[in-house]
Amino acid sequence: MRKGSKVSSNIIMTLVTVWLLIPLLATIIYSLFEDWTGIIPHGFTLANYQKIFTDTAFLTSMYQTLLVCVIPIVITILVVLLGLFVVTVYFPKLEKYMQILCMIPYTIQGVILSVSILILYAKGDTVLSGRMTMLIGAYCIIILPHIYNGIRNGMRAINMNMLLEAAEMLGESKLKAFFKVIVPNILTGITVSSLLAVGLLFGDYVIIRNLSSSNVNNMQKFLYQAMKRSSAEASAVFVVIMLITFAITAIVLTLQSRSTLEKIRNGGK
Amino acid sequence: MAYIHFEKINKIFGTNHVLKDIDLDVEKGQLVTLLGPSGCGKSTLLRCLAGLEQVTDGHIYLDGQEITDVVPRRRGIGMVFQQYSLFPNMNVRDNVAYGLKLKKLPKAEINQKVEQMLDIVGLSEKISQYPAQLSGGQQQRVALARAMVTAPKVLLLDEPLSAIDALLRKNLQIEIRRIQQQLGITTIFVTHDQDEAMVMSDMIHLFHEGKIEQSGTPEQIYTRPATKFAATFIGNYNLPTAADFNRAFHTDIPGQDVAVRPEIVTLTKQAPKAEDGLLVAEGTITSHISHGNLIRFAVEFEGGLTLNADVVYENKLDFGEGDRVFAAMKKDLVIGL
Ligand SMILES: Nc1ncnc2c1ncn2[C@@H]1O[C@H](COP(=O)(O)OP(=O)(O)OP(=O)(O)O)[C@@H](O)[C@H]1O
Ligand SMILES: [Mg+2]
Repeated sequence: MRKGSKVSSNIIMTLVTVWLLIPLLATIIYSLFEDWTGIIPHGFTLANYQKIFTDTAFLTSMYQTLLVCVIPIVITILVVLLGLFVVTVYFPKLEKYMQILCMIPYTIQGVILSVSILILYAKGDTVLSGRMTMLIGAYCIIILPHIYNGIRNGMRAINMNMLLEAAEMLGESKLKAFFKVIVPNILTGITVSSLLAVGLLFGDYVIIRNLSSSNVNNMQKFLYQAMKRSSAEASAVFVVIMLITFAITAIVLTLQSRSTLEKIRNGGK
Repeated sequence: MAYIHFEKINKIFGTNHVLKDIDLDVEKGQLVTLLGPSGCGKSTLLRCLAGLEQVTDGHIYLDGQEITDVVPRRRGIGMVFQQYSLFPNMNVRDNVAYGLKLKKLPKAEINQKVEQMLDIVGLSEKISQYPAQLSGGQQQRVALARAMVTAPKVLLLDEPLSAIDALLRKNLQIEIRRIQQQLGITTIFVTHDQDEAMVMSDMIHLFHEGKIEQSGTPEQIYTRPATKFAATFIGNYNLPTAADFNRAFHTDIPGQDVAVRPEIVTLTKQAPKAEDGLLVAEGTITSHISHGNLIRFAVEFEGGLTLNADVVYENKLDFGEGDRVFAAMKKDLVIGL
């Protein structure tokens, strides 16, 4: 009976996976063939890929996507880490307010956020009204709840105050102890939430369209423009975006599992 | 001035007055125990000494220097916590070396000290394991090594053995005492287990509701409890009212209550020979409980007084329920409270 239910659950899993992968597969095939009007596609070609990879606009958009992804993530992680450190160690009573504050962005939609930011800052002449600053700021806001949750959950899993006190008794300052003793233990939480954040920011079209000037392009924006030109080319762009997302996920996951594996292996000998 | 000197320490959390005018001295090289029931403020006093908690009022001196407002990391105090507090991301070697690295010692010296200390706590072969791979007792021994390897002026142990099973716990008590004496580290040990306090300490300070109820050597505390609370907490004292006791034994112990240790009461079937200072009364055995090496008989006397008496168990029960027996004890061992 158990075996039977295992088989059926495997079947369901496979079906679901196939269901999810079909659009992706179709897109890949579509981007690799000249003609797919019959059942069997024919005329294998890499021309679509050649075209986009020789297009400087595409390469720039790739580079800019990375930039506008990585910078907000790094900033947000640092801010949340320091904020949580100060709150947990010195002002534990403020913790619930910090939580509320960090959760608010969940309820804000991209259009509203970008429009409000434009209204508020675009007219000014300060550094805040720079297009890039506004974009990065908006991205920080969007990913804040995810980063906050990841780090907060990681901290809950360890007895942070006691570990800090233990380090303090050994002669360490609290802040240094935080980075040497607490952060390594919540690295998993941080990487997982960064992953989520990468996914979110990679998929953004609304905010970047509203906030960035025409010279800042992310891949979604490029994809949108490509769609107007040729659907085969757009498919190729789409496949590249997917592959990059997969690659980032794979890298982070292997990094994670390798570090745990290493720990166990070292300990075992 | 003593090596560690607490002066009129008060600690108030909100409306909770946890430490009340504590005066306490600890001599250099001694192992001193803070003993008391849960919630009486033992950890709080320890944390005040460590600097992890600010005193509301009072002064703390260590080695002739006032340290009341010194930050924890500059006090030169090592601590082992009640819960496991090893750094999970570091192996045993790195955990123990943590404090030495902060002192910027040469690497070779750090390694040598770490290995030496792990040898003392008997965990040399675990040096590259991670805390999650160690048992609770092993983790606490690593924590002990980590605290001691920097040669702190004072070592604070806050119920380090409370999460460890009975047998290992007994071994570790003896181990800690041995290491403490070998290294001559002034140590304050917190526990709510009286046996543990008896086994380990040079001095015991009995805590009760934020005050020190009684201080003394283990023997003094055990044989001469000064208050009713002390007698309730330590040993297995009988605590009848003085009136009941005096009536049954035809004597005149002063005070409200009388404290009688069960092991000073001897039971015989024949009346013992009358002696100066020997209190004797006849009673009836009402029950007995086996404690393994001894049997505790409950004896009821005229006027409703009941006393427990311990008899070492050899190979048979000397008395049964309902037997008439004579209970005798030396008057100068009976304590009036
Ligand atoms: N940070 C704190 N904030 C508020 N109250 C506290 C704090 N720490 C301790 N207390 C209170 O102080 C009292 C004494 O606590 P403490 O931890 O010193 O007890 P203890 O004697 O160590 O008990 P146990 O044997 O259970 O560890 C308790 O009533 C506790 O609620
Ligand atoms: Mg305690």
